[in-house]
This record gives sequence, C-alpha cells and structure tokens, in this order.
Amino acid sequence: MIIGIVISLLLATACIAGCTSGTPAPATTSATPAPATSPAVAETAPPTLIETALPTPAAPEAKATSTPKPVYTYSEGNVVAYTAASLSGVSPKLAEGFETMYPGHKVVFNLAGTQALKTQVQNGAYCDVFISASNAYTNELTKGNYFVPGTVKPLTSNYVIVILPKNNPAGITSLSDLAKPGVKIAVADKSVPVGTATTAVIGNLAKSAGYGKEWNSSVTSNIVTYETSEPAVAGKVELGEVDAGFVYESTYIAGKDKYVAISVPRAVNYLQTYTIAVMKDSTSKGAASDFETFMLSANGQQILKDYGFSPL
Amino acid sequence: MKPSSLIPEQYRRLLLYAGAVFLVLSVTLYLALPVAALFFRTTPELFWASLSDPLVISALWLSLTTSAISLFIVILVGTPFAYVHSRSVYPGKVLVDTLIDLPLVLPPAVAGFALLVLYGRMGLIGQYFRMLGIPIAFTTLAVIMAQIFVASPFYLRQAKSLFEQFDRSYEHTARTLGATPLRTFLTITLPLTAGGLVSGAVMTFGRALGEFGATIMFAGNLPGVTQTMPLAVYVGMESNFNLGLTISILLVIISFLIMIAVRILTKPEVPHA
Repeated sequence: MIIGIVISLLLATACIAGCTSGTPAPATTSATPAPATSPAVAETAPPTLIETALPTPAAPEAKATSTPKPVYTYSEGNVVAYTAASLSGVSPKLAEGFETMYPGHKVVFNLAGTQALKTQVQNGAYCDVFISASNAYTNELTKGNYFVPGTVKPLTSNYVIVILPKNNPAGITSLSDLAKPGVKIAVADKSVPVGTATTAVIGNLAKSAGYGKEWNSSVTSNIVTYETSEPAVAGKVELGEVDAGFVYESTYIAGKDKYVAISVPRAVNYLQTYTIAVMKDSTSKGAASDFETFMLSANGQQILKDYGFSPL
Repeated sequence: MKPSSLIPEQYRRLLLYAGAVFLVLSVTLYLALPVAALFFRTTPELFWASLSDPLVISALWLSLTTSAISLFIVILVGTPFAYVHSRSVYPGKVLVDTLIDLPLVLPPAVAGFALLVLYGRMGLIGQYFRMLGIPIAFTTLAVIMAQIFVASPFYLRQAKSLFEQFDRSYEHTARTLGATPLRTFLTITLPLTAGGLVSGAVMTFGRALGEFGATIMFAGNLPGVTQTMPLAVYVGMESNFNLGLTISILLVIISFLIMIAVRILTKPEVPHA
C-alpha cells in the first residue's frame, strides 16, 4: 500500500523528477530575497505632503550606471527593512527621503503585519532593520536577542480611527451607529498590532457612558472579518464591501479621498507605538543604522507626520 | 566501444541499481520530508491539547461541512452537465472546455478577487443581491462558492473524460431494449463509471478542503463563519504556532486519507484468476 502511494507520488511528479533528475532536495539559497511589496498606495500620496521639506534629489547616477542593479546582494548600502504594513502608504516617500539623504544607499521594504514579519524573522528571514507596530512584538524579539543592543528606539505612534466607504452605505454618523443591526465591520485580527489596538478601543468604549456592554456585543457580532494586516482592513472598506473598518489615523489621512472617518476620542483611544531596530545578523549595519538615523531625523519624522502618524 | 568492456557487467548493474534507488529516494524525500517535519515539531501532548481548542474545532467543522456541501453541489450539477457536454456537439464546445479548466491554473487569489468583484455587494451581480438583502461576500456561502469555483474542475474533467470514453454500445443495447435515456444513464452509465466519478469527487473534496487564497479574499476570515482550516493555519502561524501546527497535521492526515481513497477507487478491476 505504502509503496503504491510512493509510486503514485513519483508518477504525479514525473515532470519534477525529469527536471531535477536525481538531485536531492535543492539546497536553499542562503539569502532568500525579501518579497518585493507593491507600492500601489504610493500613487495616491496626499497632496498635503510638503515636498520642499526634502533636499533636492541628487540621484546617484554614477552608481546606477556602473553596477548592473544588484538588488538583493545585501552589500553595504542596501537596507532590507521589515516594516509594519501600516507604513505601506508612506514607504515610497521614506525610501525617497532616505536615498536622498544618503546617496548610494537603497532601502527595500517588506511590508506585512508585524506578527507575520516577526514569524518570518524567527524562522530565519534576513533583514537589516525591523520596524514593529507593537511593543509586544518588539519586546519578544528583543528577548530573543535579534536586535543590536541599544538600537531599539521608539519611532512614531498611531491612533485608531474608524473609516467608512466614501458613500457611507450604512449611513453611519457616530460610533454608536456601529452597533446598528446589519452594519458590516472589518477589523484586524488581534495578533495584528492594529487589531490589539482595536480590541482595546472597543473595550474602552464599552466601559464609557452611552455605549456599554450591549453596544460592545452588537459591534462584535457586526464584525464580518478579522484581517491579517491593517491595509487589508482598509482595502475592504475602500472596495465598499464593508461599512466600517478600524484602522490607524495615518491610513485615513493618507487616503482622505477614499474614506470618510469617525474619529475615536483620545480619552478612549489606544496609542500604538512603533519601534525601529537594527538586526544583529545584518551584514550592512552601517547602512542600517544610517536608515535608522534618517527615520528618527527631522526629515523622516516630518514625512511620517505628513502621513498622519503621531510624533512621539 | 562497448561500455561493458570498460565496466564489468556486475558493477554496471550495481551502478544502475544505485542510481535508481538514489532517484526514487531523493524525489520521495523531497516531497515527503517537509510533511514529516510537521510531525517532528510537535508532541502528542501538544497535539491533543490544541486539538480541543475551540478555534481548531470550529475550523475543522467548518471546513468539513463546507467542503461536503461544495462537493454535493458539484456532483449534483456537474454530473448531468458533464454527461450532456460529452454527448453533444455544439459551437463553442472547445471554449467551454477551456473555461471550465481555467480555475485549475488560475491563481486562487485571482479567483477570490474575481468572485469579490462579481458577487461582492459593490459587484456586478452582488449589488442586486444586496438590494434583495442577500449578503454573499464574507459569509459561509462565500466559502462554499469559492470552493466550488476552484475545486469543481477536478470533478468535471474526470466526469467528462469518463463519459467520453464510455463504451456507448452498452447504452445503445439498453435503449433498444426499451429503457428511457434517464434509466439508461442511471442503471448503465452511472454504475459503470462510478469508480472514476468517486475518485474525481474525492479530489474535488480535497481541493475544496485546502482552498485558501480565494476564501481569504472573498469570504474573509471570521472564526466559525468563514475561517476554514487553511485560514486557521495561516493565522496560527503568525499568532499561535501550536494551533497552526495541529491544524496542519490534521490537514496532512486528511489529505493522505484522500489519496489512499483515490488509489483504492481507481484500482483497475482485479482480473479473475
């Protein structure tokens, strides 16, 4: 029986066998390229961005022409930044600012939910810089000795906001309305930093006057999906497939033309703190710490502020 | 020059033998080792402990019921479709053949996006369902629709080719003896193709059970409602490693049983001694 199954496996994979003909499991390349992430949101950069805040771009033409684009060589000068997905919208501007401030340096972002990035790193993924949207994950990686000691620094912060599709199909005008029957709400899973913040905000609201337990259970039963990243929540709202989504304020500010927002009062809001750190295993620590310097510099902070992040 | 003059015959055979063993081993190990690694990473205690987790139970229950419903619909609609399709000549038949095979090669994420764009409440058709107050996206119905979309070709292909290859003289005989076309189909064609149909059905069930990409995009990820086992594995890997591991192992076991079932069902009739 077992032999029969093995043989059927063999037959089913006849073409694979044909290609690899007898080679054992291919040795995994030591440096797996970080998945390139789509900077699609970049096209919708808010007009409020102050372009003049950046020095005039002096593109490193010489480097670009002399070397045939070694994108993933991890050579000094290339920074692979594992970055919380909520920075998706601002990431192209950050890259531009960094590459302007340090001509010759380049940064490539791997944008995903911090919980996913953390798992990738714990399973051996290579990166130079880690930007976390949650102190809990930062602490976990710090304990695991993944960071260069002393490089773990608070980067920025973000509040939670409720966004609605532009045409507001459910006619939501207040946070109370989220409890109306039939309202469809998207949130991030509690493993995602913004999901933790959302849970905290809903909990805080439930405890405050005018909401209460009933509101809490109605809102919870209106949740139709627990997404695995913050942009995934925003995407469902933008498509109009849900009536409301809990995201970060930065997402609303970067996409004001796409959403309507119901703000959450600061008193019951949850401030999620982002951190940045240089990885212990980085082979380009110089460029990595340059990137950190840029992110914490007035330039970097201004870009984040323009995109709705709350300065520390 | 004869090769046997270089290497003695017994060594030549030995080399050939070694080469064959190496080939079989390397291919088998490459495919089986990752699956085996899942079992090495857990302990029976951890496995049993997380097996009783409500998240695992609800994902398992949801996956099995939705896959079963998907399969039921595919058989119910797919069998007559495949029969009619294989027994008739009509313009555009090649196109239909191609279109129903498309989900086999289409990335499931694209399938999910397409389903959302059609049935989502802003979608081409979904907007009318919304007026009728029928939500589709982000419901269990969406899970089933995604599964049918990606998994039905496995059954349809199998059924089509079985009906095409079926020796029609049996059918003709039945008809000349006065049986109605329906009776002929139910008493002659169906029983004689049943083995192959069931193996196609089992493959469809397996594909439906493993469906991930279209589901997470079209049906969302809500425990108990749309969070099937593959989605729970995905979330588990990022938040609760042991849960992810346990569900993965469950899926491996189920997939293995499916393959065994297919092998038994497609085994050619044992000739009489």
